[in-house]
Amino acid sequence: MSLSRRRMLALGGGLCAALSLPRRPLAAPVEVIEMRGTARGEQIWFAPVGLAIAPGTTLRFINADPGNSHTATAYHPANFDRPRRIPARAEPWDSGFLLPGDSFEVTLRVPGVYDYYCIPHEHAGMAGRIVVGTPQASGFVGSVEPGDDLPPEVAAILPPVDAILARGRIEGEDR
Amino acid sequence: MIKLLAFGTAIVAAGVSGAIAHDEEMLRQAPPGAPWVQVSDVLPLPEFIPGLGTLFVNPDTLPAGPFLAYDRDGALSATVYMTPLQELQNGTSYDGLGIGAHEVSGVDIYFNAGHPGVEAPHAHVVLYHDEDAKRRLAE
Repeated sequence: MSLSRRRMLALGGGLCAALSLPRRPLAAPVEVIEMRGTARGEQIWFAPVGLAIAPGTTLRFINADPGNSHTATAYHPANFDRPRRIPARAEPWDSGFLLPGDSFEVTLRVPGVYDYYCIPHEHAGMAGRIVVGTPQASGFVGSVEPGDDLPPEVAAILPPVDAILARGRIEGEDR
Repeated sequence: MIKLLAFGTAIVAAGVSGAIAHDEEMLRQAPPGAPWVQVSDVLPLPEFIPGLGTLFVNPDTLPAGPFLAYDRDGALSATVYMTPLQELQNGTSYDGLGIGAHEVSGVDIYFNAGHPGVEAPHAHVVLYHDEDAKRRLAE
């Protein structure tokens, strides 16, 4: 057996040993946001509607509404030419339609304020706001006051950034 | 029990959706056939919507419908109309709409904030075709 072959076997053995070691999960924090609605669809909302998270947190959107489909869609020109209401360096996301019980995950890493909405329910005011990090964080991008770029129902529903930071989460029902 | 014979007669007389009145027997069991399409086949909605059941619609009649609502056994249980509030306020009227069956045991009208297919806030007008229909469509 040549030296190089013995070294290769030794390396392979070491690799196998390393792979067999117990692996510590690299768990990133996960927060759940549910899409909810009343039984007859009179009201629909994200719960919570406002949430403060640390950079790198994964958001899991779950459709908990048994009678309707929903999306979680970032306000961004890449999504149906909607206004950008997430940090410029952040990646926009669009869950697509989620049927009851379906879920979608996105990880937010860039500090700042992220506004998002549900495509079929935007005009019913189904929207939410995520604050990633704090205004003291480097590169934090604050919110832009809603103007004519948003339906009035959405502008009325988005909680103030200060309130989200102070309370951590604002449930949809107590908006 | 309310009999909508007069309503049905008016529909036939007006020649609007008369085919629905004449083909009532064909609509009693799902699937109702062309031109009706199952809503969940063409829109991202559950196959069975609690409260409305499995819906079929003739796309040409959107948004108002009628939508035919079938229970889990495929029995026609209700006819549903969806009328956008803003359109009504702007003066649109929805006249001469068809009906899935002429026998109606009860009517519910309620607000809906929107869903794929009829995104605008609208009213659901639900005509139940037998006394037990509401329960069957609920579950």
